[in-house]
Amino acid sequence: MTTRREFIQTLGATGAALAGLTACSGGGKSSGGGGGSTQPPAPPPASPILVIVNIDGGYDWLNVMPPNAGSNLGVYQTKRATLGITDSGLLTDLGSGAALNKDFTGMDTLSALGRVAWIPGIGMPNPNLSHFTSIDLWGQGATVPAGTGWLGRFADTAFSPSGDVLRGLSVTSDLPVMLKGASRSFVSIPSAGGYVFPAYLLNGGTVPDAATLETGWGTALNATSPDPGYAAGAQAGKLFFDAQNNPAFGTGGALAARTPSVAYPGDTTYPITRLSGSPLTSSLSNQFKLIAQMIAAGLPGQVYFSRLGGWDTHSNQAVDHPNLQRALGGSIKAFYDDLATITTSAGNAQDRVMILAYSEFGRRVQENNGGTDHGTAGLAFCVGKAVKGGFYGAYPDLTNLDANGNMKFTTDFRSLYATVLDRWLGQATSTTDTLLGSAYPRLGFL
Amino acid sequence: MADLSPLASWTLADVQHFARRAGFGLNPADAAALQAQAPGAAIDAWIDGTAADSAAFTAALASADVVTEALVTASTTDPGSVDVPAVPGPHAFLVEGANAWRNNLNTAQALCAWRMQHNPYAFQERMALFWHNLFATGQHKVNNAALMLKQIQLFRSQGLVKFDDLLVAVSKDPAMCIWLDSVLNNASGTNIPNENYAREVMELYSLGADNGYNQTDITQLARALSGWSFTFAETDYIANPASPSQKTAADGHFRVYDGSAIAPDTRLYYGGARSTTYNLHGTGTISLFGQTLDITTTANGWAKGENALRSILVQRGPNCAQFLAKRLLIHFVSADYSAQDQSDVAAMIQAAGFDLRVVMKTLLKSNFFFDPAHRFALVEGPVSWIVRAARMLCPSLATASAQTPKGYPAWRLVTSNATTFDQMGMKLLDASGPNGWKEHTAWLNSNTMRYRTKAAAALTLNETRSSGGTTYPLFPTSLTTDWFPTAPASAQAVYDRLVALLQPGTIPASVSAAWLAALWPSTFTWDAAAQTKARELAFLILCSPAGQLY
Repeated sequence: MTTRREFIQTLGATGAALAGLTACSGGGKSSGGGGGSTQPPAPPPASPILVIVNIDGGYDWLNVMPPNAGSNLGVYQTKRATLGITDSGLLTDLGSGAALNKDFTGMDTLSALGRVAWIPGIGMPNPNLSHFTSIDLWGQGATVPAGTGWLGRFADTAFSPSGDVLRGLSVTSDLPVMLKGASRSFVSIPSAGGYVFPAYLLNGGTVPDAATLETGWGTALNATSPDPGYAAGAQAGKLFFDAQNNPAFGTGGALAARTPSVAYPGDTTYPITRLSGSPLTSSLSNQFKLIAQMIAAGLPGQVYFSRLGGWDTHSNQAVDHPNLQRALGGSIKAFYDDLATITTSAGNAQDRVMILAYSEFGRRVQENNGGTDHGTAGLAFCVGKAVKGGFYGAYPDLTNLDANGNMKFTTDFRSLYATVLDRWLGQATSTTDTLLGSAYPRLGFL
Repeated sequence: MADLSPLASWTLADVQHFARRAGFGLNPADAAALQAQAPGAAIDAWIDGTAADSAAFTAALASADVVTEALVTASTTDPGSVDVPAVPGPHAFLVEGANAWRNNLNTAQALCAWRMQHNPYAFQERMALFWHNLFATGQHKVNNAALMLKQIQLFRSQGLVKFDDLLVAVSKDPAMCIWLDSVLNNASGTNIPNENYAREVMELYSLGADNGYNQTDITQLARALSGWSFTFAETDYIANPASPSQKTAADGHFRVYDGSAIAPDTRLYYGGARSTTYNLHGTGTISLFGQTLDITTTANGWAKGENALRSILVQRGPNCAQFLAKRLLIHFVSADYSAQDQSDVAAMIQAAGFDLRVVMKTLLKSNFFFDPAHRFALVEGPVSWIVRAARMLCPSLATASAQTPKGYPAWRLVTSNATTFDQMGMKLLDASGPNGWKEHTAWLNSNTMRYRTKAAAALTLNETRSSGGTTYPLFPTSLTTDWFPTAPASAQAVYDRLVALLQPGTIPASVSAAWLAALWPSTFTWDAAAQTKARELAFLILCSPAGQLY
């Protein structure tokens, strides 16, 4: 539970909207989803792991956690005349004037257990409603271009300059700016097989004279050249080169196989489908399964990055949005449950992992014809056993929108980062403040 | 300051720099032939395509198996799979026209790569690649490979017109209309428009974020472009021969859905056959950039609302020129340009009246472009990178066409499951978002480098696949015919020839020395073993950090 002081620091001029939120802990009023009663937070683990979930496209969290009471509800009913989720049968009441969409599979259960810290109204000053500007700023952890990401700078500071190659991992094929440092970047490993150099394209046959080629490539990666761009190729290549040498990647570059202990969205045995009856997307499920496999294989990952796209619901929201929520919530719940069955020398994985989910912005309160356009303040949330469940920061006041009809943010996104850096990733307060360029108020969920 | 005056004469290194950036490279012999011409006339001809003899290319495209086909899983029922004798069309590896029913991304990617490798008018493909990145569109939402290829063809055919004309043409392109929701933008009556396209056309396609427009301009432009969609004729629908009820549109025709008669077409983008279009178009006036515009007028043969789109350049010309300058600089010249360079190029663009042919000729002939500091100053995008290497190492179109089976690189296999280009960082025809791909060092991360090394292995180390009793190389290459028509006399000669073909950035001398010492520790003989070593050396050059530069 956050303190009164922390609330005041993050609320600014919109503090009037928070009435009741401080009294709400962990969505304890929920009875949906078969969850148990609220459980106390577990002590922080010795070897914490952070799993980032990028909800890509700017998700309409207002339909994930809609207002269900007070003046906010009236505005919502007016501006979301078609798309709004107002039927109480579709919602799990969280108290404090907000409810959780039951399409957000499994999250009501986790919330009722007290495992979810919700941060409605998270955002930044002067948003320009651009995906790409906002993604860059969320990645950089700065509201002016910084060139590096907040986790990349963490890597610069905390990772060994010549080692720790698998300490920061993205299970996507790209490398978001969030994970780029000045001297260190995360490694991207989107699959668990064939992670070896040299290798053919289509996983057929063995490349001859592999030892000579490996030595030769290593020589080139360790050299320097005046050409701009050489260093980038060397750094990127060396990350792969060093990572594939980890003994966890065994014969043929394969991680030890692992069968998930639970069904994930997209699996044939998973009970929830799209509205159409076809299976949910397995995109995020597959990334979570891979992370679980990596943890179980003993990879030394401290921070993992994953992504679920498709949230830019300018159109067709009534169909796409429930499907996406089911996949997102269901994947998180499945992953959380699956982790409980993984124990390594570093401890039980469910004790070690905290999930941080965020999106680049929320969407316009006023719907268009069949969808919603770009907005501002978002809903971030953290899930884990050590999390103190509940609301952090005020739900935006829908009666007090900005000139473009968008929500005013109530918590600066860097407060979330600051909280995670020093209370989960173990950075000294002063180091965190340096990494973020200023001292941002910490949130009380850790 | 960018010296945009034309280069007076050029060296071989200049020619190769030009060919790498304005095409997909030239081998040493072709580069020498081009160098014999004066740069001004040679570059004009290169950009206009007047020097290119496209007869063999056109013939191959019309009649041949543009990729080796026997290895692709045969199926008559699965769109995208191929059974050569059982399907219609000039050949089995197209997804356009009579073959649109296949609607297959792999095949469409393969065709684009094949065209880049073999089109003698390389600049046309280079510009198409540039515009595809700028107007990045994705099959995962469009879900129609024929319409995706129609958009790429638009870039080929109109990639050098005036930029405002290109912007209008792209805005009317069916794939784009689907991609950014123009087809669902309804501002008739009191309806609230979908502003997806209006935002991105300014942010990503003409001005750049925070550069000359505000949220009001977005909502006003969205009203102007409401109802921009397309229709189909019955003949646009191509049935799957194995499942005739399953039809895919091969083409679409721009229309503003304003309630007018639908003839000569018969079908709407959604909603099936009708005699009139729906009315989705807003009426009256809008206020855009402080100007009042009537969005129901159709003067100049323009579509309703087109005047608003064109006013971006009229009212915000300097902003648009700055935006274009930035994109041209990082793709064609350097990522390390100054604000003055950008302004100089922008001024040139404005002076040229946004005529892209004039702009490209001026830029690519300039002393600024040819500044030796710009050679190898950029990281090459992965599609261009593998295409250029294939151009250097694979047989010519004429040679390939004469082989049995035809020796065209099997791009259809290389693009298998659409993962190769994706994992290398550029999923051709399927951008993940409308902002396309960031260039230069953003091309490189540990995963894209990993997949570049795999593609390099396929090309240089002669990866093969077997099917139906036949073994095919993914990239047919002849070491003795094409790589070394003259037998090298030394390890250094092998290295020098491969560098001349692959044209990497500067490889540190210590690195090349270590490679040669490891590959040829004792005496050099040009035998089969040495030829295998030569392949390995080509692999190392292509995988090295210097090999990513161009």
